[in-house]
Amino acid sequence: MSTDVTVETLGGERMKLNMGPHHPATHGVLRLMVETDGEIVAKAVPDHGFLHRSIEKIGECVEWPMFVPYTDRIDYVCAMNANLAYCVAVEKLLNTDPATAVQVPLRAECIRIIVAELNRISSHLVAVGAMSMDLGAYTPFLHGIAQRETVNDIFEKLCGQRLTYNFVTIGGVAFDLHKGAEAEITAFLDAFEKEMIRFNKLITANTIFRDRCAGVAAISAADAVAYGLVGPNLRGSGVDWDIRRDEPYGIYDRLAVRVPVGQGFAGRNGRVGDCYDRFVVRLLEINESVRLVREALKMLPAPVEKKTDATGGYQADVAKQLRKPPKGEVRVRTEAPRGEMGYVIVSDGSKTPYRVRCRTGSFTACSIFQKLMRGIFMADIVTVIGSFDIVVPEIDR
Amino acid sequence: MSTALAFAAIAEQVKSAHPSVEARESDNRQPWLLVPAADLPAVARLLRDAPALRFDSLADLTGWDLAKFPATPPSTDIAVAYYLHSLAHRHHLTLKVMAPRDAAQVPSVSGVWAVANYFEREVYDLLGVAFTGHPNLKRIMCPDDWIGHPLRKDYVYPQAYNGIAHLRDGQHFEDAPPRVGDPPPAPAAAAPAKPPVKSA
Amino acid sequence: MEFGPAVNTIATWISGPDPSWWAVGIGLVAVWVIPVLAIVFPVAAVGQIIERKVAAAMQRRHGPNTVGMDGILRLVVRLAFFFLPRAAQDRIQARITALPGVGWTLGLLQRSGLGQLAADGVKMIGKEDIVPAGTDGLVFRAAPYLALVGAFLPFAAIPFAQNLVALEVPVGALYVVAASGFTVVGLLMAGWGSGNKFSLLGGMRAVAQVVSYEIPVGLAIAGVVLWCGTMDLHQIVAHQYNGQWYSFLGWNIFQSPFLALLACLLFFAGLAECQRTPFDMAEAESELVSGFNTEYSGLRWGMFAMAEYSEMILVGALVSTLFLGGYQSPIGEPWIMSLPGWLETIIHAGILLVKFTLGVVLMVWIRWTLPRFRVDQVMRLCWLTLVPLCLLSLFGLALTMLLGGLAGGVHTGPAYGRIPGMQHINLDALGWLVTWVVPVGFAAVLVAVARRRHGQMHPALKQLTGGA
Repeated sequence: MSTDVTVETLGGERMKLNMGPHHPATHGVLRLMVETDGEIVAKAVPDHGFLHRSIEKIGECVEWPMFVPYTDRIDYVCAMNANLAYCVAVEKLLNTDPATAVQVPLRAECIRIIVAELNRISSHLVAVGAMSMDLGAYTPFLHGIAQRETVNDIFEKLCGQRLTYNFVTIGGVAFDLHKGAEAEITAFLDAFEKEMIRFNKLITANTIFRDRCAGVAAISAADAVAYGLVGPNLRGSGVDWDIRRDEPYGIYDRLAVRVPVGQGFAGRNGRVGDCYDRFVVRLLEINESVRLVREALKMLPAPVEKKTDATGGYQADVAKQLRKPPKGEVRVRTEAPRGEMGYVIVSDGSKTPYRVRCRTGSFTACSIFQKLMRGIFMADIVTVIGSFDIVVPEIDR
Repeated sequence: MSTALAFAAIAEQVKSAHPSVEARESDNRQPWLLVPAADLPAVARLLRDAPALRFDSLADLTGWDLAKFPATPPSTDIAVAYYLHSLAHRHHLTLKVMAPRDAAQVPSVSGVWAVANYFEREVYDLLGVAFTGHPNLKRIMCPDDWIGHPLRKDYVYPQAYNGIAHLRDGQHFEDAPPRVGDPPPAPAAAAPAKPPVKSA
Repeated sequence: MEFGPAVNTIATWISGPDPSWWAVGIGLVAVWVIPVLAIVFPVAAVGQIIERKVAAAMQRRHGPNTVGMDGILRLVVRLAFFFLPRAAQDRIQARITALPGVGWTLGLLQRSGLGQLAADGVKMIGKEDIVPAGTDGLVFRAAPYLALVGAFLPFAAIPFAQNLVALEVPVGALYVVAASGFTVVGLLMAGWGSGNKFSLLGGMRAVAQVVSYEIPVGLAIAGVVLWCGTMDLHQIVAHQYNGQWYSFLGWNIFQSPFLALLACLLFFAGLAECQRTPFDMAEAESELVSGFNTEYSGLRWGMFAMAEYSEMILVGALVSTLFLGGYQSPIGEPWIMSLPGWLETIIHAGILLVKFTLGVVLMVWIRWTLPRFRVDQVMRLCWLTLVPLCLLSLFGLALTMLLGGLAGGVHTGPAYGRIPGMQHINLDALGWLVTWVVPVGFAAVLVAVARRRHGQMHPALKQLTGGA
């Protein structure tokens, strides 16, 4: 529905346009080489690598626990989830050999769920806020950011950082919850749910916004799977798949994870898997995360003095195991806000990883750009990029 | 009712169609299939299309250099690993292709799983595995004129890129071996008095 | 051409009873450039503060609140008492600030951010005027002037008070539409001259949009012209006076639902002409970086900003003049007319200022609430919604007038709304019923049907927005 003109009917001269690497809508340093005929895009080729920092190479040069801060930099919008993915992977590696097995304390697992889901909320807030800002509505973005601030305040009290937390460690978490954290989080969630209703009335239910997104860049479920879309982008196309529910890590198997999928939320003009579906799926996931945080808070065991205690402790002692981990390889998939954050870890039995591979959601999302950005309007490029919620350091690593 | 298959059953099906495929296990008992490079496209198509297998998604594609890996027997190949996942049946499979490091060539599977296009470009860029039949095999992370493939274990960090030095005066890489084209080593008298400080 | 008595007086005073063209020019400048710009220019500048403050309030921020009056007071004291030692100046300033009420007022002004105005002005003038290589020099340089001229020229015909109108042309309404057309030439020149593809796209979008939206604007104005029987803006204002203390009921917007609809259409089409969200195709910051003014900096950029804000004021002033009684007060005129002439002028100009400032605030409110349309949606909205609605309103208006005329009455004032065959019943209530309740009720039914058909919300969305 986005346009009645197809690329094949375009004639005449085409204009080459460089969107980015510095462009307000490319969310960082992404470059799109766009060919347009007037307002209609004939072709758009993404160009990556401006933010490549060879994090995987760095992983081969630092010791196991020293890589955790680098995972923050892979995806700084949801650093807790990035930490968690790596730590879960290393723990799985250690657990492949009974001699080096590590038991993460239950309290630490609960804290991990709490911070990961809170971080998912704040990451999705950036996603939906930035997308509405791309579409010209500035106010919802700031309302979302105001809520993210509160989450950051909680994290700051928790670990002293507001963006790159380095909080989840191998074997647990770096610090126990600070005094009064449960009350703070509960108070935030209560206020936040009311705020989100206002937010949704402001932008999600807005007719202009819905018409801008409805039917734009609809991706069929088969395409979404073939192009390796993950997370909300995959679920937006109606594929019912969530690693937290289907391949649980941590204690997600003890929580009731409900998975919202795209159903053509935009109504009359909408199609399953269009930009609006991806947007709404994120908002529904925010509500689910609120529920999961509440559940995890209920499960949280009382703290005890001994930090390695299997129930009330917050950090298992893994220093010895990490000096001589088992030789071999593991692969772990975790559900980060931008979809699957998977680690392939190869260990040669020494204190540094042999190979650390991080598979991120934004990278594969870019692989479908060229297919989608044909015959759409210039303005829709921005909608598409926004709806995929890409974070450029995650693409380029 | 779950239609997921265990690794042994999958391996059985694949091996019956392609006897050259071998089931292997890593040192920590993670199972995978070793596929000869020539058979890869056919195996990939079988895995995607066979109704009992239906590996519709390529969850990850990566690789690593085995040159310094303490494997038995030792190998200098580049391992290319394919992590497949079936959303229809909810089962997993790991494939590996061993590419000789001097002529690392593996057939592309971007015609089977569209996402492989990007993954293969990344592996090509960082590990130097050429995927034959890839529609657009160009570097994706590094600049097009970059020399070398950084994730290879014998990779030497370049001192300069297009005439721009990577290190400022006084900085140095610890134990960086001299490269072809580097200025000849300075005489012993000119060597720094202080030993180089190891950076974190 | 007749430029009004004041211009004639000045021109005759300069060059005799048959004034030459340049004397008329000087008269024009003295009579309208100075007083009208004295109103428009500051308001256009204050418009930026209004924008930032309203946006801040909507986003729960403070907005500009730092650059304040304190520094300005210090500057004044320094200049006035430059001969005294610095310490003495400081003491004087402390004394002034300590006067009852002064400190409080200064604090209020400080928090209001009005000092930001001066700071922004100085910054804009002080910035380097960059003309990038590869621009079409003259076109690039001249564009902001044309935009500014296009934004200011229409004010000549807007009556600010009984005697404060520069150009009493009998075709004032037409003149306003024509003169505002200059702006788009400025935008196109900026887009072309910048030598930047984003600017070019922005310029093209601006032309397509502004030219299209001039049609609903023209049609809406035509409705008023039809109703009032004149194109002279001054007479249109006078026409809206019903001689009662509740004179606001005489305003065009309360005369017929079709006029009320036209007022809304004029406002929205005007919003589109100003290139503001949701119609800011030409700037579209997230798509085209900054559209036609991407390459501009310093004062030239400031001219575009000034043009944008004066256009907003123009739309506000035009809607006020055509539909909201112009400079008239809503509670009758005698109390103003009994005042001395200069005071009358000030009060009337002040009333118009309040009216168009409300319009400006409404535009700011809309901008910070709504997302942007897409290019095709903007065009579709214009040609498939606004233009048909304008035509429908014109038709309904003509029908109302025809029926009113058949009823033998004047079609405005207290006698409107009589229907044929019922002349003997002077039923104002029935008149209201026929002119208002029936069309509005009909429209309400239409809207309700449309909402039922298209407004079905997905249950998940109802849940997200807190509905059942």
